[in-house]
Amino acid sequence: MKSGSNLEKILESGQFAVTAECGPPKGTSAMVVQRKGELLKFCCDALNVTDNQTAIVRMSSFSGCVLLKALGVEPVLQMVVRDRNRLALQGDLLGAAALGIHNVLCLSGDHQRFGNHPTAKGVYDIDSIQFIRTVKDMRDEHKFINGEAFSGDAPFYIGAAANPFADPFEFRVTRLAKKVKAGADFIQTQGIFDVAKFAEWMKGVRDRGLHEKTHILAGLIPIKSVGMARYMANNVSGLSVPKQIVDRMADTKDPKEEGVKICLETIEEIMDIEGVHGIHIMAVAWEDIVPRIVEEAGLMPRPVV
Amino acid sequence: MITVEQKELEKILEMTKGRGRLLVLGCETCAAMSLAGGKKQAEELAVAIRVGRKQSKEEGEVVADAIARQCEPEFVALIEKEVASFDTVLSLACGAGVQLIAERFPDKVVIPGCNTSFLGVTEKLGVWSERCAGCGNCILDKTGGLCPIARCAKQLFNGPCGGSTNGKCEISKDVDCVWQLIIDRLTRLDRLEALEEIFPVKDWSPAGHGGPRRVVREDLEP
Amino acid sequence: MNAERTSHPEEPAYPPCKSACPILTDAREYIQLIAERKYDEAYAAIRRQNPLPGVCGRICTHPCEAVCKRGQVGEPIAIAALKRFSCDGPRRQPYQAILPEAPTGHAVAVIGSGPAGLSAAHDLALLGHHVTIFETLPVLGGMLRVGVPEYRLPKDVVEQEIQTILDLGIEVKTGVRIGEEITLADLFEKGYGAVFLAVGAHKDRKLGIPGEEALEGVVAAVSFLRGISEGKAPEVGRRVAVIGGGNTAVDSARSALRLGSEAVTMVYRRSKEEMPAAREEIEEAIEEGIEIAYLTSPVEILGTHGRVSGLKCIETALGDADAGGRRSPKPVPGSEFVLDVNMVIAAIGQAPESSCFGDDLEVSAQGNRIVAKDPETLATSIPGVFAGGDAVTGPATAIKAIAAGQRAARAIDLYLKRTSEDASESAGDVRPQEISGPVMEKTRRFARSRPPRVPVRDRLRDFGEVVSVLSEDLATQEALRCLHCHLGARVDQEACVSCLTCVRICPLQIPKANKMGEITIDPVDCQACGMCAMECPVRAIDIRLHSGVEILAQLEEAIGQSRFAGPLIVGFFDLHGTFGVEDLENLRENYPGIVPVTVFGLRRIDTTHMLRAFEFGAAGVFLAACPDDRDPFPETRDRIKRRVAHTAVLTELLGLGKGRVEILEMPDKGLIDEKAIDELIQKIKEIGPSPLRV
Repeated sequence: MKSGSNLEKILESGQFAVTAECGPPKGTSAMVVQRKGELLKFCCDALNVTDNQTAIVRMSSFSGCVLLKALGVEPVLQMVVRDRNRLALQGDLLGAAALGIHNVLCLSGDHQRFGNHPTAKGVYDIDSIQFIRTVKDMRDEHKFINGEAFSGDAPFYIGAAANPFADPFEFRVTRLAKKVKAGADFIQTQGIFDVAKFAEWMKGVRDRGLHEKTHILAGLIPIKSVGMARYMANNVSGLSVPKQIVDRMADTKDPKEEGVKICLETIEEIMDIEGVHGIHIMAVAWEDIVPRIVEEAGLMPRPVV
Repeated sequence: MITVEQKELEKILEMTKGRGRLLVLGCETCAAMSLAGGKKQAEELAVAIRVGRKQSKEEGEVVADAIARQCEPEFVALIEKEVASFDTVLSLACGAGVQLIAERFPDKVVIPGCNTSFLGVTEKLGVWSERCAGCGNCILDKTGGLCPIARCAKQLFNGPCGGSTNGKCEISKDVDCVWQLIIDRLTRLDRLEALEEIFPVKDWSPAGHGGPRRVVREDLEP
Repeated sequence: MNAERTSHPEEPAYPPCKSACPILTDAREYIQLIAERKYDEAYAAIRRQNPLPGVCGRICTHPCEAVCKRGQVGEPIAIAALKRFSCDGPRRQPYQAILPEAPTGHAVAVIGSGPAGLSAAHDLALLGHHVTIFETLPVLGGMLRVGVPEYRLPKDVVEQEIQTILDLGIEVKTGVRIGEEITLADLFEKGYGAVFLAVGAHKDRKLGIPGEEALEGVVAAVSFLRGISEGKAPEVGRRVAVIGGGNTAVDSARSALRLGSEAVTMVYRRSKEEMPAAREEIEEAIEEGIEIAYLTSPVEILGTHGRVSGLKCIETALGDADAGGRRSPKPVPGSEFVLDVNMVIAAIGQAPESSCFGDDLEVSAQGNRIVAKDPETLATSIPGVFAGGDAVTGPATAIKAIAAGQRAARAIDLYLKRTSEDASESAGDVRPQEISGPVMEKTRRFARSRPPRVPVRDRLRDFGEVVSVLSEDLATQEALRCLHCHLGARVDQEACVSCLTCVRICPLQIPKANKMGEITIDPVDCQACGMCAMECPVRAIDIRLHSGVEILAQLEEAIGQSRFAGPLIVGFFDLHGTFGVEDLENLRENYPGIVPVTVFGLRRIDTTHMLRAFEFGAAGVFLAACPDDRDPFPETRDRIKRRVAHTAVLTELLGLGKGRVEILEMPDKGLIDEKAIDELIQKIKEIGPSPLRV
């Protein structure tokens, strides 16, 4: 075991994992995090706390993880390289290890232009792949980037994001290979709507044997309304939303139901694809629906390892 | 070249208001090539300020002139006598030029008439785009001649990120994703495998994060 | 404007028009003045150099037009017609003649009052010498008066120009034949310091064919034309043959028609291409119904009862070139035929009357032409005796005779003063100046203006002038077709920063950069549009035609001269519009608040000019754009609009208010659209007077 985290145990034992996302508040209320934690405690194996997602300032992922841990929920610490330099990143990792946070998701972060402080200076001291390598070296070599040793262990389970739908498509598998090479133990993908394209990507992944070197969790975003569907289709770069999905949301009389239905259909198709070892449900501002989806997907109860 | 853009006229009028005898000083290298701060632009600005001053009944002569480069002490020295007769210099040079002028004439008010933007190339008349971030350690050999530090919005060394769509950067459809361009270029040169390697973290000190930079050529220094 | 030599290493010294002119006339000067609607100045510019402008404007062979660069991109400028327009167009003030220098005490005798004699007399008089013209005929003018028919050159034009010359104080003695009553030696004894023989070539050459002497109805061209000029309308045959291909032959043919002949045929032994007469003359002759039998030689004049009854001719074919370089005609055996005519006019060339001057005067075997031993000074074999014009060259052109007269005057002046310093201009460089292909393609064509001509059916009634003067609109439009040779852009390499703006902005893509960043602007291609000089950020480009500095001076002067107490509005008017000098006068009268500044294209007006207008106290500025189809560089209009918009933004930001700067369209004819101007004036009034005006 690299970290001994719940997520690691489940994945390493060959079981299908379920993770979900918890968005911290744009404020100081610990209760918001705690309530989400309680809600999702039993339907996922680990819970991601987002880090200033879409460049909007929110309560930090680190503090969210601490709050979840106190509830007995296993957190996944998300860290974007946009907001911190290598000193802060490494320092936070030492703190995370001290506080028993094991799962770390290494991300670039959406550009600060999109957020609520568009005039801020983006840090980008190191990129996400260099960051993955950093976490690995801290865990396996007990060394900082500069080669200096530190005391104590840093048992991390290293995650990275992957986007099968971004361009250039031909390069996406290579990019995944780089992340794996750098040390990514598990991958959470961008939300999937175009299953065929995802399947194509997975074929490339399998051709390179990457599905055996890392655990891929397929991302899902339950859609609440046709407005949300359209927004994602038109405004979010890196998301591929096929027209028939938008049409389904437009034509239905009960959008939420339809959204759940679409999500469940997608899960079913995805589970048939070789190399997919779990799902990651990003129910943006709709965390309440996650237990139902996990249930109806037949993934309850969650294994205890 | 260094691209500069002239500040808004309102801002210039505000900064030069009440500043007495004013020299509008153009720079005939980068500022002129940016069509923002050459002699022609200095003359035009001088007339505009004069008209503005006449309008508001403000005293103070406004004269336009230009020197070859405001970043060279020898050229700045040539206008020492001239500047002595003015109260204020409105420099249309890049930030470096403005500062050398201010350094040389510490008793004069020196005002920047332009904003300095980037190191770039001319695409066509009137259009320039950024190419170089002055990072102090050029890696263009590894990226097929395309710079990810200057042209990637997140300065990724192992790009592209998940936001790249149709060859465009997530921040705007008008901005090319340089990592797409790098992949295309290396593919064309049959060197795409180079990108399998993980680019190590950058030392940002030569890029200015180690403090203000200076180059000393010991073989040339007198 | 100075006719200048440029320091550009590759630039030819003169524009092609000047190089080709025997008297080195710089046509650019008066053409530009016509375009600027400055007709008095245009006339003065010509008259300073040429004492017979009205004559030349009508009958000059215009070698300038043959080399005019516009001819490479359309038809050449109608330079001669514009010269005539300068004389006969709407001038406001009489010409202020140059005054002669103080008397030198020398006297010069000029023999002959044709163009050579007249121009020599004119120049010598200006230099302060006492001049006497001796003329055998009772009237002055030589061939201008007694040779060229009036439908080409009216008597009164000749007489008027001669009188202006004589007004310099030149003495005239008509009805005197030097060489008979008075010899050359007599002249020197009488106190003349030098003599100029300008007797022309008035002796007809004989055909040398049977029937020439014996038959009635055979006339020599010179005496035929002289007779007409004297008012004696000679008898003409019903059917006439004119032998010859020069201007004299055409003049004779066309005159015969006007005197009543029903059919006139010209008989010329070479082909159409070799015919020496002026193209326009040949065209008009053909229009009038004259037949031309090319490659035909006369063999014998046939007669009945002592009168001409026909002309036996033979066809010719062109063989090899002769000594003179022309292919010699060889009769084709067995090709004889007879032309049915009852009058034959011989117009095969003239020679000077030179035998009367004594044996000391060297005369050539070729047609008894007087030999000018020194071609530079035109000195003959007799010291103090000079000769020039047709008497020396054989029948040539008026402008060449004028050139000879001017040259002789200079030489005589130096001779009399016993010096050899010559400060006159040297001959032009006649290298061809070819526009490059890509520029040719991009240059806009405009139709050449044609002067009105009397319709053929009305011409033959009398000897009334066939061609009239160009209208003001046609003349100004024609003048604006000039490509302004060598008045274009020059780059100061020291100041240039190789920013490539000129390369990018030229509508004809002329400036070229080498890899070191040195810019060359081909002076033969550049048409002086002014864009590069305007946009150069370091002001390294100088434009010789209507520079920015000149425009500023014009602007300052124009505003300074205004006495109007109300708001002044400066209007920059594109000279390419269709308007006349009267339109400008009316504008000044009806709209005293408008200060017009005329420019060779609005592309010469920059934001700085417009702002300066405000600095000088204007309350408003407008640019009046010429109609699109008159603009030689229509692609620059967009940039001009953007300059105006930019200036409007600046003036608003400077607190002058909104709406003081505009671009207006000139109407198809006229300076302004009154409604648009009235609206603009009203608008400016509402915004308020200029806060800058003291």
